[in-house]
Amino acid sequence: MSHKWGLVVDLDRCTGCEACVVACHAENNIPTVGKDQAAIGRTMQWIRVERTWEGDFPNPKVRFQPVLCQQCDAAPCEAVCPTYASYHTEEGLNGQAYNRCIGTRFCANACPYTVRSFNFYNPQWQKPLNLQLNPDVSVRSVGIMEKCTFCVQRIKSAEIQAEAEKRDLKDGEFTTACAQSCASKALVFGDLNDPHSEVSRLASSSRATKLLGELGTKPNVTYLERGAWQDANNG
Amino acid sequence: MKILYGLYSDPEKVQLAVDTLNAATSELKFNPRQIIIVSGEPHEGYDFAESHLTSLPYRWAVLGGAIGALSGYFLTTLTQKAYPIATGGMPIAPAWTDGIIIYELTMLGAILMTFIVLLRGARLPNFKGVITDPEVWAGKILVGVVDPPQDAQSVLEKCLLQAGATQVKQSSGAPGKLASKGT
Amino acid sequence: MQITAEQIEKDLLRPIFKTGRKYLVAVGLATSLVLAGMAAFGYQVYTGIGVWGINSPVFWAFDITNFVFWIGISHAGTLISAILRLTNATWRRPVTRCAEAITVFSLLIGGLIPLCHIGRPWLGYWMIPYPSQRGIWPNFRSPLEWDFFAIATYLIGSTTFLYLPAIPDFAAVRDAAKGLRKRIYSILSLGWQGTPRQWQRLEIAMHIMAIAIVPVAVSVHTIVSWDFAMTLIPMWHTTIFGPYFVVGAIFSGVAALILAMALLRRFLHLEEYLKPLHFNNLGKLLLTMSLLWFYCIFAEFLTTWYGNTPSEMAVFWENVRHNFAPLFWTMVVCNFVIPVPILAMKKLRTVTGTAIASCTIVIGMWIERFLIIVPALDHKFLPYSWGTYRPTLVEDILMASTFGFMTLLYLSFTKFVPMISVWEMKVGLQPRGGGILTTEAPGEKRHGLVLEGPLPTDVEE
Repeated sequence: MSHKWGLVVDLDRCTGCEACVVACHAENNIPTVGKDQAAIGRTMQWIRVERTWEGDFPNPKVRFQPVLCQQCDAAPCEAVCPTYASYHTEEGLNGQAYNRCIGTRFCANACPYTVRSFNFYNPQWQKPLNLQLNPDVSVRSVGIMEKCTFCVQRIKSAEIQAEAEKRDLKDGEFTTACAQSCASKALVFGDLNDPHSEVSRLASSSRATKLLGELGTKPNVTYLERGAWQDANNG
Repeated sequence: MKILYGLYSDPEKVQLAVDTLNAATSELKFNPRQIIIVSGEPHEGYDFAESHLTSLPYRWAVLGGAIGALSGYFLTTLTQKAYPIATGGMPIAPAWTDGIIIYELTMLGAILMTFIVLLRGARLPNFKGVITDPEVWAGKILVGVVDPPQDAQSVLEKCLLQAGATQVKQSSGAPGKLASKGT
Repeated sequence: MQITAEQIEKDLLRPIFKTGRKYLVAVGLATSLVLAGMAAFGYQVYTGIGVWGINSPVFWAFDITNFVFWIGISHAGTLISAILRLTNATWRRPVTRCAEAITVFSLLIGGLIPLCHIGRPWLGYWMIPYPSQRGIWPNFRSPLEWDFFAIATYLIGSTTFLYLPAIPDFAAVRDAAKGLRKRIYSILSLGWQGTPRQWQRLEIAMHIMAIAIVPVAVSVHTIVSWDFAMTLIPMWHTTIFGPYFVVGAIFSGVAALILAMALLRRFLHLEEYLKPLHFNNLGKLLLTMSLLWFYCIFAEFLTTWYGNTPSEMAVFWENVRHNFAPLFWTMVVCNFVIPVPILAMKKLRTVTGTAIASCTIVIGMWIERFLIIVPALDHKFLPYSWGTYRPTLVEDILMASTFGFMTLLYLSFTKFVPMISVWEMKVGLQPRGGGILTTEAPGEKRHGLVLEGPLPTDVEE
């Protein structure tokens, strides 16, 4: 059975703790750029937690929204890459072949979600972070675009393991680093082709919505809208 | 290669000289092809400036465009279908985008073919025996006979002068050298 | 004074054989700019493209602005020259060569910029479709790939278009030169003699080239606009971009042409050839383009404003009222408010007047390119990731070096090729009619002759 990987973000559950961001950095060998670079918009994040405020002091409401690559089925980033560095994998992921990337940055401009990170310099890790790089993930060099892969290394190793044991993948057998580290279980990862998976169940919720769904990019990340009760509690 | 030529300042006199030379070909035993005209600018509207083959270059340009279009088609459509890549449901070898590249290659084919046809038609490049005279660039027109028959030289000279040549010269430029010596 | 063929020959070949001190100073300045640019580029490659001011979300800024700007400038030459040739406008003769040269050189520069702007410039050749062991084939769905083909075609086409009518002039230099120079020009002229057959073939070839190059020129800037219009980004994703870019390109191109002509006239002493008439005619064209440009930008912004979608309005206000408003209104002043009155009044449509208008237009059109790219990028859909952009010194140097490079290429060109087509000027001297045609009514036989018109030398208005 072919897989179609998807992620559900429950906005009701997100506390904005940014554990997912840290986990993602650790899992995917994402460098930290330092505050000077971050201040001029060079932050490297495959997932970010957007903070927005509604209302003024003394009664502001804080909203958190984790945004990562939406792994669109009709991805604007893929068509524009002249070298097929951003391409569509058989399992419906937006792949990024680092070695093919020549750094035109067209994909990042075409992405309506601005979720792609560019290596403006060769990445460096402060000691001792340089000793804890994940061996399953390649380290990118200067001039290359990168972005969330849905932890493709975890997907692949789980698939290989299941194939070796001649069985189907079980729901929840593995998950992405962000979903794994989410204390409030706001992030749920799984196979959308499996009708019994938790991610399928949540994605068919009446609260389900897509980020910028009106653009027709067909994202595989689903957001569950905030319930009215939260406003009542906060208000 | 020897050449006997006269220099003219008026295209009408050139026409007269060319007509005279043409009329004298059988009598003086030389080929009309040996007559040469060299000018520093085109002279439209005179008989001597017409060679009556105008439509062919256009057809060649169209052919060049067709070759370009065909190679554009092979380059885009066939290669993409030969190595099909997963595109997430988006079309492989979509006609719209391939059409843009096919269009550019069509135009490129037409342009290159025009250039090649010009070179062939104008017999270029030709580095051997370039016939020219510095006076030509000052507005004179050169009419002459290449390798004139030995016994006809004086008659030819007279012909050229009668047609109104301001000057008659003879040059014996060896192949590869520019002919410019006057007599 | 009646100009003779001999005089034309002498005047127009003079710059090739004589070099003044001012020329050397200009070459020195331009070369130092180019060297500074090369150093900046080397630094950028060595350190990483982070030495530029680009960031997330403004991944393109000065680089692509310059790219679009120079590709736009390239539309002056070949396109205008081709249209004037096709319509047999006789006043074109002194204009075509310097126009076509602008095209070739600005295309060279414009084509180089995408190579320098990519993150790994040493891999730029991966855009070329050729079989290799890497198993990479270019993506023909990418507008950048269309750019590659369009610019390559236009560059080859306009180089040929520049070269063909220069062949007889190379032959003229060959016959006037000695030694090494003679040998170089012998090769360049391909052994041109000037037989009627050659002249006829050359003119037919130029006619075909003129027909072929116009649609190529239009397609090139349309495709450049599609780099933006093919994305979903607010204020980029619009159908007007194709024609709008073509209009803007011709607009800035004509302005650049007038500037170049004014400088050539002044420094090569071509007052007898580049006359007020030419500036007047091109000034009228520039006026038309200015009005057309205003129409395009008005249509674009009005549609956005009336549609009033939030994501587009964010960019709209950014342009008109917020961060980029000073630049936006400078652009309107430079492209419309200043040039239109100058160009509309006959008294002001002089050499100096058109040159001043062209100056503001070149500046205004550069700003326009910048405003198309940056405000749309830094205000994409999700407000959380909005950003801004500030150029760094490296980008400034690289930009200045593109102007230096253009100057250097153009200056070198004046040393190797007569800046005005010598033989075409001589055709202009030929008496109307004449020869066998005198027996026929004018206009009956060959369009060429009848439309040749009066001598360009005694035409004033």
